[in-house]
Amino acid sequence: MSELFPRKQIMGFVFSLVLTAVALAVYFLHLSFAAGIIVLLITAFVQALLQLVVFMHASETKDKWIIYGKVAFMIGIAIITVLGTLLIFLWDM
Amino acid sequence: MKVDHSLPLEYSTKQNGRNIFGFWVFLAAEIMLFATLFTSYFTLEHRVGHGSSGAEIFEMTPVVIETLILLTSSFTVGLAVHAMRIGNKKAMAAFFVITLFLGLGFLGFEIDEFMTYIHEGASLQTSAFTAILMTTLGTHGAHVTFGLFWGTAILMQIKKNGLTTETANKSFIFSLYWHFLDVVWIFIFSFIYLKGMM
Amino acid sequence: MEFFERFAIPNPSIAIYASMVAIGLTVFAIIAGLSYFKKWGYLWREWLTTVDHKRIGIMYLFSALIMLFRGGVDAIMMRVQLAVPDNKLLDAQHYNEIFSTHGVIMVMFMAMPFIFAFMNFVVPLQIGARDVAFPRLNALSFWLFFFGAMLFNISFVVGGSPDAGWTSYFPLAGNEFSPSVGTNYYMIAIQISGIGSLMTGINMITTIFKMRAPGMTLMKMPMFTWSVLVTNLIIVTVFPVITVALAMGTMDRLFGTYFFTTTNGGMDMLWANLFWVWGHPEVYILILPAFGLYSEIISTFSGRNLYGYKSMVASMVIISALACMVWAHHFFTMGQGALANSFFSITTMMIAVPTGVKIFNWLFTLWKGKIRYTVPMLYSLGFIPLFVIGGMTGVMLAMSAADYQYHNTMFLVAHFHNTIIPGVVFAMLAGLTYYWPKMFGFMLNERIGNWAFWFLSIGFCLAFFPMYITGLDGQARRMYTYSEATGYGPLNMVSFVGAGIMAISFALIVYNIYYSIRYSPRNISADPWDARSLEWATHTPVPEYNFVIEPQVASSEAFWDAKKKGHELFSGKPEKIHMPNNSGLPFIMSAIFFIWGFSMIFSLWIPVIISTIAIFACMLYRSFEKDHGHYISVEEIDETEIKLRGVN
Repeated sequence: MSELFPRKQIMGFVFSLVLTAVALAVYFLHLSFAAGIIVLLITAFVQALLQLVVFMHASETKDKWIIYGKVAFMIGIAIITVLGTLLIFLWDM
Repeated sequence: MKVDHSLPLEYSTKQNGRNIFGFWVFLAAEIMLFATLFTSYFTLEHRVGHGSSGAEIFEMTPVVIETLILLTSSFTVGLAVHAMRIGNKKAMAAFFVITLFLGLGFLGFEIDEFMTYIHEGASLQTSAFTAILMTTLGTHGAHVTFGLFWGTAILMQIKKNGLTTETANKSFIFSLYWHFLDVVWIFIFSFIYLKGMM
Repeated sequence: MEFFERFAIPNPSIAIYASMVAIGLTVFAIIAGLSYFKKWGYLWREWLTTVDHKRIGIMYLFSALIMLFRGGVDAIMMRVQLAVPDNKLLDAQHYNEIFSTHGVIMVMFMAMPFIFAFMNFVVPLQIGARDVAFPRLNALSFWLFFFGAMLFNISFVVGGSPDAGWTSYFPLAGNEFSPSVGTNYYMIAIQISGIGSLMTGINMITTIFKMRAPGMTLMKMPMFTWSVLVTNLIIVTVFPVITVALAMGTMDRLFGTYFFTTTNGGMDMLWANLFWVWGHPEVYILILPAFGLYSEIISTFSGRNLYGYKSMVASMVIISALACMVWAHHFFTMGQGALANSFFSITTMMIAVPTGVKIFNWLFTLWKGKIRYTVPMLYSLGFIPLFVIGGMTGVMLAMSAADYQYHNTMFLVAHFHNTIIPGVVFAMLAGLTYYWPKMFGFMLNERIGNWAFWFLSIGFCLAFFPMYITGLDGQARRMYTYSEATGYGPLNMVSFVGAGIMAISFALIVYNIYYSIRYSPRNISADPWDARSLEWATHTPVPEYNFVIEPQVASSEAFWDAKKKGHELFSGKPEKIHMPNNSGLPFIMSAIFFIWGFSMIFSLWIPVIISTIAIFACMLYRSFEKDHGHYISVEEIDETEIKLRGVN
């Protein structure tokens, strides 16, 4: 578990910079709204996953399935809340 | 208190394990807190009343700087935990201090950003859009501010008591908090700023 | 003097003035009594600073019972006012205040603490643990609830009661239409209490996942503990939502923002949306522990294992997920389109399915069981048919097109009382009777309890079933009166009689407590019901450390199997036990929250700033605090055990 050189941290950091650059491309390359949102969704969730697994050591202990399960449930409910609200107020009002 | 030396220091007592687990539950609750703010943001995003819209007031440069500062601070706190795991107290404290300074830098840029918006006529009381914008950014910023105080308190305890099961536990939990704030910022960066400027 | 004018009641009445006097006298009596009997030290040491989950549970219990009284008085006043057409007892303003406080108190300050009482007292015992994962945080949860409740309760005598309904919709709840501080009380008292609830959520989930006795896998946990786990998952999910909503409402009222206004981009309907994203799961937070209690009680008094353990667990997990997907059914008529309404209609109807699974499992548990008609069992048996009726009317309401007819009529009021009273209140009373001997060392009188049950059930039916009919006939909710020509009179009179019978039932319950304290024998067994789960494997009264030795569990009915199959629960020699110390910080911090809340409500900014700093100072103190608890030595344990074993 403890290697001397923080390889995972450095790789994770570089990867997160890459994902940020990709997200910025949405702005600088003037992507369409739909394409832009899809790219942003992917980069944001991938970065979140990266932080979760690599940095926050979520997979380290025997509680990992409970932690993953809880975070997944919460993200699911969060998405339903956002989409449900948008459905009510923006898309079907 | 029974110490299990086969586990890293921050997990090494039963209460430590519970503290970390409980904090994960807290972070799950915070996911919903910020999700509610985002829900409200998407609903009110275009309701600008007499005031400005996001596209009119957002500027790319400070946003990119804030993002880079926060990403780097997440990296340094990760290095701090790594140093803690291999028992290097000096390196850990150094990376911890850098993390807190980066957090302070982030706050500096964000406060400047807010002052700019207010000068341009977009304050908390201007419209629904500015209200939810400032509240979402402000809630994240308030969490960062709380983190700075909390992190400083932990640093003082490490200085006084060294790396014990307790200080290691608190430092690890702080790192979870800090990484989480970075994740929240990624969503703010993507779905408030970039989305608003598209 | 001008400064004090802000605390005056905007709409006083004789009843309110009388209450002011009564409150003043009561507070004085309490302070005088404590001083005369020199009990301040005892109060501080044993109750105000306790971190023991059993004591905290008992404090929640008594808070709930007191709030039940206030909420009930509100209800009686409403029923008296509506008993005859064109009644002049209450004017519209006071009626509005009463139904608002009735709702908030019953949901937030009666039902929630009641379920927290059982969660706190029972769960650590049921899983064979010595306390919850975070005892200090647990105490903080209670005191935040307590001070939040106290803050809300003084509203009607200091500054004015909230009057925009328990749902406090904008724009009514905004400054233009609710200029008094009443709605500020609403926003802030519930916020403070809600923080305590969220902390309980974190505490219970950690406790259940991390502190079960060896051998107790998740699928061997008692059903009440499972219900508590799922409930707290929902709490952790949705309380942050109401936190944000209340904060935004507070900002609109105190800081001039435009979240829920009708101008400058504000969207009043967003409040309703966010409120119900929390509000619907909230009612599942109330009902799931009730379901858990019913599972325990029905299985104990049928003498049989609970039927369908796995499907009971699965149904609760499914309910928890679905509960977070149905919220818009509370505002089908608000203006969104048919697509949105259809989605929520379908999810709402789907929730009936796992609930039905549970009902059938209880029926199958009863089938061919040796039924004992104790008071807890009576409540559970009464629950089944009455709750099913309430559930069915829920499915009626779930059809969004039909709901345009039912929405905000008395039909709706009947439905939710039909689910909450047989669902939650019956369970709370059943649990009270069931766990009373373990908490206090004597039984509640069975005969009086019987009478209370029958009065409550009959009174409930008389009070609420007529509302289904008047609602379909067009009687709106939240209306302080109606004219004779509407024809609602006779059925409202029946409701009034029913409410009176319910009041008698609650009086009987209070009398039962008094009578039992005086006359119930104290030499009862530690297992008076011949029960099945671990909490009954303790002594009565339960010692501070709960179990001398951690129990070894091999089945989902650990205690029953120990009794009937000779499985050994406790093996090994006692070792010294580590327990947390008492602490005054939770009480003090919550008291500061009270001051903060009060100052916010009345826009007293200097006290707000000072109390905010004080709250953070408490947190800082806690961070630097070096408190590692204490050990109970083996000699002390042996002494305690001999004393307790002598009793039972």
